[in-house]
Amino acid sequence: MAVNCATSSSLFISKPSNKPSPSSVTTTPFLGFSLAASTKPAVQSKRLFKICCHDKPAVIPAEQQWMFDDLTGPDVWNKTWYPKAKDHIPTSKTWYVVDASDKILGRLASTIAIHIRGKNLATYTPSVDMGAHVIVVNAEKIAVSGKKRTLKLYRRHSGRPGGMTVETFDQLQKRVPERIIEHAVRGMLPKGRLGRSLFTHLKVYTGPDHPHEAQQPKELPIRDKRITKQT
Amino acid sequence: MYASTPPRSCMQHKLAKGFRGRAKNCIRIARERVEKALQYSYRDRRNKKRDMRSLWIQRINAGTRQHGHALSSFSPATAVYSPVTTDRPILIFVAIFSFHTRVNYGNFMHGLMKENIQLNRKVLSEISMHEPYSFKALVDVSHSAFPGNKAAAAPKKEGLAILL
Repeated sequence: MAVNCATSSSLFISKPSNKPSPSSVTTTPFLGFSLAASTKPAVQSKRLFKICCHDKPAVIPAEQQWMFDDLTGPDVWNKTWYPKAKDHIPTSKTWYVVDASDKILGRLASTIAIHIRGKNLATYTPSVDMGAHVIVVNAEKIAVSGKKRTLKLYRRHSGRPGGMTVETFDQLQKRVPERIIEHAVRGMLPKGRLGRSLFTHLKVYTGPDHPHEAQQPKELPIRDKRITKQT
Repeated sequence: MYASTPPRSCMQHKLAKGFRGRAKNCIRIARERVEKALQYSYRDRRNKKRDMRSLWIQRINAGTRQHGHALSSFSPATAVYSPVTTDRPILIFVAIFSFHTRVNYGNFMHGLMKENIQLNRKVLSEISMHEPYSFKALVDVSHSAFPGNKAAAAPKKEGLAILL
């Protein structure tokens, strides 16, 4: 792969304190030697950025010799990282707990879905479950703004003609309060096989107790500043 | 009419390994499916480049937001004189949430461009995953170069409404 040697002015950062400065020395971080010595004349202007010195032996400084000792392993530097099985062991996932009292339904569901899906992690992969488990307690105290408490409708259909059932937010909260949060989060998770298994990582409970103390859940970090109902 | 051709002498039949149902056995169906598979692979060799870049961007976004929460902070509550009252000015203490220190992908890349750091998104995503301290250094560099667009400096309207 042709390396853009003229623009590789930024060094691969090994010391966090150094600010990378655009230097005039054209050093490739991986080869460790200056490409300015390549003497092939630029015949075509578009071909300037090619490595012209494959025939010369690479001069590796002594402190970087360890990097080039064993090049037989997999190429982790040029291939995008994909998680292996040991990177997403289900038993070592993080568990979060969040109290739903007086939180706005949609904003809370959005934060929960982001954590369940793993989109807050730099190791996010769409095809792999890298997310955390989330426990929601006090589900019956969830809040909605405006007149949604009496006007928001929840519909379901049994499949048969005339089998549509419509309930308001209030009625559903009296009947099965957990379903409100589950419905909201399920709508925000991806639909598909993986989405369905992600949904099983959400645990919703009415009341302040939950049976998952053994998992030592942490407090869910919420960044949304408007998530608490303004009274 | 043959239900299935015995030896896999046909090239298309060989390419149909692993297909579902009759498409792996029967040459008539296999031929169609293999044609489709080859079309998809042509299209997806181009799509793969787009998908990969999108994945890198998502990973960088997640990484910067993780670090950014240490950087973003509340600015101290400022006193604002109410313009509404008639004779005496009323001090309204409004805490302005400093959104202007928001660290996300957009601000991060803008800061890097300003600093002329030409690491590409693939490398940045790998750094954000495997070299967290180096990535934090990059986030700091970018943040010092471009702290983010300042939010509208006007105090929130509900600050006035509480008083009135």
